[in-house]
Amino acid sequence: MAKQVGRDQQGITLRGSAEIVAEFFSYGINSILYQRGIYPPETFTRVQKYGLTLLITTDPELKNYLNNVVEQMKEWLYKCIVQRLVVVISSIENNEVLERWQFDIECDKTAKDENEPREKSQKVIQDEIRSVIRQITATVTFLPLLEIACAFDLLIYTDKDLAVPEKWEESGPQFIANSEEVRLRSFTTTIHKVNSTVAYKKDSFP
Amino acid sequence: MDDFENNTTVFSALRSLNNFISLEGVSAPDTPGSSRSAFQIQYQQRVQMEEQAGQIHSKSQLLQVEREKMQMELSHKRARIELEKAANTNARNYEREADRNRELLTRIKQYQERETEAENKLKEQMEMSKCYKKSMETMSKKLQEKESKLAEANETITVLKGKISELQWSKMNQEMQMTSQDSQKQELMEQLDVQHKKWQEACQQIQMLQANQSHLAEYEQKIKDLEQKLSQQEHDALIVKNMKTELARLPKMERELRQLKEENAYFREMKENNGLLKEEVEGLQRKLERFEKVQAQLATVELENEKLLGKLKSWEKVDQSTGLNIRTPDDLSRQIVALQQRELTLKEQNSTITSSARILEKARVQLQEDIIRIQSQLLEEKKKREQHEALVRRLQKRVLLLTKERDGMRAILESYDSELTPSEHSPQLNRRMREAEEMVQKLHAHNTELEAQLSQVLEEVGNHKQRAEMLEVEMKVLKSQECTAEQSTIITKEEIDTLRQKIEELEAERSKLEEQNRSLEMKLEKLTVQGDYDPSKTKVLHFSMNPASLAMQQRKEEHQQLQEAYERLRETVRVLEGGGSIPENLEGLGSLQSSQEIAELKKQVESAELKNQRLKEVFQTKIQEFRKVCYTLTGYQIDITTENQYRLTSIYAEHQGDCLLFKASSSSGRKMQLLENEFSRTIRELIELHLLQQDSIPAFLSALTLDLFSRQTIA
Repeated sequence: MAKQVGRDQQGITLRGSAEIVAEFFSYGINSILYQRGIYPPETFTRVQKYGLTLLITTDPELKNYLNNVVEQMKEWLYKCIVQRLVVVISSIENNEVLERWQFDIECDKTAKDENEPREKSQKVIQDEIRSVIRQITATVTFLPLLEIACAFDLLIYTDKDLAVPEKWEESGPQFIANSEEVRLRSFTTTIHKVNSTVAYKKDSFP
Repeated sequence: MDDFENNTTVFSALRSLNNFISLEGVSAPDTPGSSRSAFQIQYQQRVQMEEQAGQIHSKSQLLQVEREKMQMELSHKRARIELEKAANTNARNYEREADRNRELLTRIKQYQERETEAENKLKEQMEMSKCYKKSMETMSKKLQEKESKLAEANETITVLKGKISELQWSKMNQEMQMTSQDSQKQELMEQLDVQHKKWQEACQQIQMLQANQSHLAEYEQKIKDLEQKLSQQEHDALIVKNMKTELARLPKMERELRQLKEENAYFREMKENNGLLKEEVEGLQRKLERFEKVQAQLATVELENEKLLGKLKSWEKVDQSTGLNIRTPDDLSRQIVALQQRELTLKEQNSTITSSARILEKARVQLQEDIIRIQSQLLEEKKKREQHEALVRRLQKRVLLLTKERDGMRAILESYDSELTPSEHSPQLNRRMREAEEMVQKLHAHNTELEAQLSQVLEEVGNHKQRAEMLEVEMKVLKSQECTAEQSTIITKEEIDTLRQKIEELEAERSKLEEQNRSLEMKLEKLTVQGDYDPSKTKVLHFSMNPASLAMQQRKEEHQQLQEAYERLRETVRVLEGGGSIPENLEGLGSLQSSQEIAELKKQVESAELKNQRLKEVFQTKIQEFRKVCYTLTGYQIDITTENQYRLTSIYAEHQGDCLLFKASSSSGRKMQLLENEFSRTIRELIELHLLQQDSIPAFLSALTLDLFSRQTIA
């Protein structure tokens, strides 16, 4: 996907930026699902990306779902109408939200009208993304252990005037009642800036 | 060995003969002649061989015999040598024996001597024995006495034994009594239980009685209510009777009613007339009232008239006394109006004056400031004037000096003129004169200038003084006004205070709002971190078939299934608990089978228990039998007192407590040890003999049995 941008090694276009960000989401979500143990580890396979060994799912249903969401994300990123992507991890038993991985997206809407690509090298962006994914992997050390069976959901915050596409529906924000937040690193393609945050349920027994 | 060989040959010959015979039987018809000749040859060969063998045999026998003979000879020699040796030894022995014989003879002699000595001793001993016999007799006598005593003692022992038996009897009886008492106690306990039950029943009955009593009370109350009702009903009956009598009176009443109706009609007519009359009366009464009122009013009016006349007179008097043109109240009211108007105008004036006072106050403040300014100016001017005066004095001094100089110069010049010839020096002098005159003129001009300046300054000072006076006057005016204006200043001060307070309040509010704003901004940031959003601008979307909702749905379905299964199972459990047969719609077969199984298992359990009980009974009887048999056969009753410890009580025991305690050192009971007790101490001999030396417990036990048996039989 990044090769489309690669034809112009020096600059970043809006479409290329959307591609990069969407790809980051795909790998990031996979990493979260693996690290937090939402799906069994044997359903993941190793892949080399961003100079790291990443794990992506082989579960066909999950793959299909992620592809759907990421493709839709890409389109919205291109239109600059998406504000935020949230990975919500909740307990199956009582539907209680235990973790929220929030990726705030700041779109530079002026890029829509510009034709000239921005100056930022592919390598620098990849380095930034790598550090974000490394942080996601490192958060396992302080996040509370998920002892009960959990499932995840992807929420996308978009502009109000967007027409809801087929198979999509409006949802609540799914807050955590008593949460602790940790800001992670951010990266930018100069068109899209992605700020990462993880919020998790505070332990009732400190 | 040779015989054996011979036998074999005979046997082999026989066999060959037999073989031959059989062969002959079979093959005779074919070749009789040839076979016979062969046999003959064979036979001859055999015979020869036998003869040879016999020869060899005899030879070997001969050799053997010769060898034996040699051996015999050797042995004979040996025997002879031995016999010779024996003869020698016998001869020696004979010599030794002869020696010993001699010795023995000497000894015999010695012994004979000793014998005589012993005989003497014997005689002494006999004497001694006689003495002893005598003592013996005495002793026997004593013994007899003792025996008699012993017999007595035995008697007493028998008596005591009898007592013991009696005591045993009594003990037995007591035990019997004890058991009977125990049984009685149990009976009593049972009775107590029965009594308890009865008591409980009684309690229940009491409760029942109490309940009944409460019921009774209720019933009594009901009865009372009913009695009350009854009395009421009686009352009612009385009323009814009265009513009946009244009913009887009814026709009369009706007649009366008719009469009354007629009367009524009459009265109605009368009433109408009466009404007319009443109306007339009312009209007349009203008129009367009116007249009365008019009369009363008349009186009051007259009174008022008098009062008014008095008032009029007083007014007239007022008119006379005041001199005003007030004849009537109208005039007064008019005057009051005019006065009010005047007051209003005065008030307006007052307000204008106060406002002007305020303005004047402000002006005063300004003027005061002006005054201060002007005073400062005045001071400055005064200083200036002083400076100017000083200047003027200096200038005057200078003028004086200059005039003196000029005079001096003139004098000098005059002296020069007088001294020198005017022709030589006149131009020069003239020039000097002129110069000096010019200088003088300049000084004059300067002087006049300074004077003008001085006058100007003086004028200015005068002006300032005037102004100062003016201002002082104003000051006075303002001071006079100040008194009036103070009130307004107070008001303004209050206003200022209130305004200041307001300002302070507003300031405080502003700071508060700033803090709020800050905290709200903080909150907003936190909320954005937590995932909050502005619903007016943003909406949250998610894929409808997301994994979380799918998982939830799956879970719900599972839950439902489990719920259903649980319901079904509960139903079956309920049915089973009810003890009824399972309905066919509820998986009949499985549960039915299970119930049947349960029944079968129950039966099996019962039969097993029954078997167990029977076995127990059988074992118990068998054990009893076995123990009895053991007791009778071995003469010992074996009891287990504690673990690994056995008590043996003999059948011939003299006392009940006489028993032997054995302890099994190993659990298998292969090694037993006798434990010491009182009884075992009395049979130490048997223990030493049988256990310590022979190491046999059965022998020990048998010996003990025999011992005890013999003792008992003697006794």
